[in-house]
Amino acid sequence: MAKGFSRRNFLKSMGVAAAAGGLNFAGLSRLAAAGAGRYQDLPRLVYLYPGSPQPDVQTVQDVLSAYMAERIGATIELRAIDWGAFDGQIGLINASAENYDLAFTAPWINNYYTNINQEYLASIGDMLPELAPNYWASLTPETWEAARVGGGIYAGINQQIFVKPFGPYLRTDVLEALNLGDAFAALTSYDQLDPIMAAIKEYADQDDTLTHVTYNLAQIMVAENWGFDPQNSGLIVRSSDPSAQVEIYSQTDEYRQAAETIRRWYLAGYAPSDVALWSEMDAAWTAGQYALRVSDIVKPGGNAEVEARWGWAVTSKPIAEPLLTTGGVTATLNGVSSVSAHPDLAVRYLELVNSDPVFYNTLCKGIMGTHWEWADESQQLIRPANGAAGFGDTGYNPNTDWMFGNVFNSYYSDPTQIGAWPETAELNRNARPSPLLGFTFDGSAVETEIASISAVTQEFGSPLGSGLVDVAEGLAAYNQAQLDAGIERVRDEMQSQIDAWKSANA
Amino acid sequence: MATYSQKLREQKRLDTDRLMNLLSRFSIHIVIILLSLGCLFPLLLIVSASFTDEIALTRFGYNLIPTQFSTDAYAAIFRTPGVIIRAYLVTIFTTVVGTILALALMSPLAYALSRPDFILRKPLSLFVFFTMLFSGGIVPYYILMTQYLRVQDTVLALILPYLVVVYYVLILRTYFAALPSELIDAARVDGAGEFRIFLSIALPLAKPALATIALFTALNYWNDWTTALYFVRDPQLYPLQYMLYIIQSNAQAMQLQGSVGNITVGEVPTQTARMAMAVLATGPAALMFLVFQRYLVRGVTLGAFR
Repeated sequence: MAKGFSRRNFLKSMGVAAAAGGLNFAGLSRLAAAGAGRYQDLPRLVYLYPGSPQPDVQTVQDVLSAYMAERIGATIELRAIDWGAFDGQIGLINASAENYDLAFTAPWINNYYTNINQEYLASIGDMLPELAPNYWASLTPETWEAARVGGGIYAGINQQIFVKPFGPYLRTDVLEALNLGDAFAALTSYDQLDPIMAAIKEYADQDDTLTHVTYNLAQIMVAENWGFDPQNSGLIVRSSDPSAQVEIYSQTDEYRQAAETIRRWYLAGYAPSDVALWSEMDAAWTAGQYALRVSDIVKPGGNAEVEARWGWAVTSKPIAEPLLTTGGVTATLNGVSSVSAHPDLAVRYLELVNSDPVFYNTLCKGIMGTHWEWADESQQLIRPANGAAGFGDTGYNPNTDWMFGNVFNSYYSDPTQIGAWPETAELNRNARPSPLLGFTFDGSAVETEIASISAVTQEFGSPLGSGLVDVAEGLAAYNQAQLDAGIERVRDEMQSQIDAWKSANA
Repeated sequence: MATYSQKLREQKRLDTDRLMNLLSRFSIHIVIILLSLGCLFPLLLIVSASFTDEIALTRFGYNLIPTQFSTDAYAAIFRTPGVIIRAYLVTIFTTVVGTILALALMSPLAYALSRPDFILRKPLSLFVFFTMLFSGGIVPYYILMTQYLRVQDTVLALILPYLVVVYYVLILRTYFAALPSELIDAARVDGAGEFRIFLSIALPLAKPALATIALFTALNYWNDWTTALYFVRDPQLYPLQYMLYIIQSNAQAMQLQGSVGNITVGEVPTQTARMAMAVLATGPAALMFLVFQRYLVRGVTLGAFR
């Protein structure tokens, strides 16, 4: 008697889980008939990714597994590793050939290129069109090229904003108080910020919360601001240059101009003179100490995002032209381990997570009814389930949609975001591809030079970026130090690799 | 006459001596006071920052006295007190169990190695001390722990690595070796077996050395976070120090993501919350230090023997 009861209970809970996962009834009855034993025998894909382990991860994992079992004949194990420990742990896991199937990888964490060099990732380029047809078709061939290294594609690309249209963000209350709306909307270059900054400075002098106009000035030195595709070691290629000639960034007019602008602003007292404070930029923004972020990525829904993160409504204006670069595309990838016993199933998983919104959103947001519920289904807008105050209180909120798959399939969690995804997709589609899209530099021949250049950049580049030194003097010293560090050898090596890459792709 | 002037001179000498003595003591005290202030200052700053309002902290910076008193940071942490209590329990458990186990393993080993009449003394010594000079490196260590012993994500992973520290075995062995061999002979004549000799003669005599090693081992366990970094993924098993490390490095990693740009991240703990966490994690340990200070000082001087 007791046994029957518990079994029914079990099936009921399965039903809830399956319904949340969007299983059809045929699938449900098959599952119910077979019981849990059936899909526990299926291959289990282990997925490693950075993030704080969520309390309800087991429940979500069970629902995802049931859903996957029906579709690709495999289940999933979600292994979140804390952000701070991820690089260390996955390094050991890879080095010891510990078994796993999928992992988050990128040039900035769990380095994609190192993983390829060490043969930690499997080449999946040949499998993608066949086993993940929808996913393969959802990205343009040029975009896929960006993930290609030495002839192979070693990871799936998560669609998100690939381009980096940098521009200033200004607090809306200050903008309105000073009536700067038109001037701000008319901005086309950073130089034109001067009168706006002067006006804010005057305003700030009378306000005791607002202590500075802005904080971190070095942001305008980001190479994309000037239409450059940044490469290794302070080298750049102009996006307008089809012949893709490598140049030393600090020797360009644009760099000098940026350095002079920063110096001018610094001397005018627009930023705190204690540069050590700049790292506390976000905290100072929350505290309302400054009104202008000189250069951040301006994207659809960006204003709402900035407001949600740090308070203060903002207005933004893109200045940099959207440019599609290798770095932008490869910022978020999911690779298949070279020791995986089921690379084919792992690729099918990539298809599912990138093209099935129900599956993807369960992974990103949790289970409908348990962790979230519809606020407005027609608009794809959700809210925390059961009256929870925020998504963080529901027990499952990794809050890293961009890590798992195609964010354009993600449900909106804030009404101001609605419509941001199609706009972003449009931005990606219309962006001008860099002449180097798909090229990746292999620096192994000039490792020593790269290391010394990195040290030189710290020593001479950073003071220029913070406006602490006279531009003419500082720049001359910086350029000389770079030459001494061997930047020309890196440049020539890169140029020859680019030329070889171009002729191979011609 | 002569005696009087002599006395006077003597008196003068004594006076200058006393003055010099006073002066040197005074200057030593000044130095020590400055040093201890140097140690105390950062701690006080952290305590003060943890009680400061988040926005005030950013606006006015760190102060010895909170510019705007607030207990928000502690309130935020104690909304889920389980986490920190859990971490404390893990740390206390590994420290206590680890230290006891470590002593139980190291003292017999050291004792056996100290006995000149032990047949396997040479090969065993080589086996033990070889690891002090050559280590396999981190990857074989990781493979051993995860693929052969399979202790990842268990409390064993936190305990095993410090059970036998060769250097401590060396100290203990030296101490045992210095015990007069006549004692052991006498015990044997009285009919005691090897275990009896070890337990009733050698161990009680080695108490000071054992206390020192116990203290060092306990400190090892208490301060360890790297083991957790390699082998623990389950937040339920985070020791205290690792939890602090994770909070700090998560905040850094999230800043890194900010510089990557096109992605949003979860909530970064506020500065004050990080400070409050540090206070909660170090506070009780610091209190314990005050209580056990006596033993610690004695232990440190004992550690310097021979």
